[in-house]
Amino acid sequence: MTVSSQVKGCYASLKNADATLETLAAKTQDQETEKAFREARNTVRTVKQDLEQQVIFLTREEPQYKS
Amino acid sequence: MPGWIEIIIRSTILLLILFLLSKGFGKKKLSQLTVFQYMLMIVIGGIIALSAISSDIPVSYGGLALAVWFIIPVAAEFIALKSKRFRDVTKGKGTVLIQNGKIMDDNLKKERITTDDLLGSLRSNNIFNAADVEFAVIEPNGDVNVLPKKEQQPVTPKMLGTKVSPSKEPQTVIMDGKMLLEPLANASLNPNWLETELEKMNVSIENVFLGQVDSDGQLTVDLFDDQLSVPTPAEKPLLLATLKKCQADLEMFALETENEEAKALYQKNSERLQKGIDKITPYLN
Repeated sequence: MTVSSQVKGCYASLKNADATLETLAAKTQDQETEKAFREARNTVRTVKQDLEQQVIFLTREEPQYKS
Repeated sequence: MPGWIEIIIRSTILLLILFLLSKGFGKKKLSQLTVFQYMLMIVIGGIIALSAISSDIPVSYGGLALAVWFIIPVAAEFIALKSKRFRDVTKGKGTVLIQNGKIMDDNLKKERITTDDLLGSLRSNNIFNAADVEFAVIEPNGDVNVLPKKEQQPVTPKMLGTKVSPSKEPQTVIMDGKMLLEPLANASLNPNWLETELEKMNVSIENVFLGQVDSDGQLTVDLFDDQLSVPTPAEKPLLLATLKKCQADLEMFALETENEEAKALYQKNSERLQKGIDKITPYLN
């Protein structure tokens, strides 16, 4: 596995976590819990955005592995 | 009128009266009664038994006695409800048996409790050493309640300073294979959602003995067929595992890369994610 594909994998996992947090926040009946899930989702999203930049950068660096 | 018919009539009427009277005394259990209330019940029972079988006493006399024995105590209960002082006289006050870890022997004598009795009631509160008790009181109905010393109290999340997620009452949405619509609506869910969840678990609703939804919308079911195993909800543990894996990955990227800029970025995000995980963990357990 190249670095690029590893970072991509991590990015995908974060996407998954983001979506799960969103469903959990929507499902819960408790406001405090909902708030906690929303906050966690914001954190995950900022990390995801940073990582997205990195994915683009790495794809440029290793064009032979571009998928 | 032959005697036996009279007894049948009297008994039936008194049975109904007894039933109504028992409603009038409220929902207290027998063990919560004071000695006086207990004796009162016996007297009322005696009056009813007597007037049921002795045909030489007019029914009206029995009814009158019952009324007196019922109305005065009930009236007293109503007054006790309003007045603290009256309550202290009629119901009695609790007596402190142990205070600041010291056994109050005078109070023990006053309540005629032997040391063995005291130790016995401490034991029924799961305390075997009198030195572990900070405060103990005997209630008017004879129950002994104990406050253990702080270091002997069971650990609570508050003592540990950990945060736990708030939980609300679960709703029972399936009972004996039937969907219950009202609890489902209370959890702001609909039958479609329930069908989808059951489909995900690969079970049919007829086979579900009991199904409950917790406040986070997780469905847990128990099946009629105990041979089958149902998947336990895995969404939250999986999420936590995913987040932890991502955090570990980021840390690894930070170590592996030689590009300083990328290193800083991975480091920063790994820390950020770690903080997020710490915050959300109580809600995912």
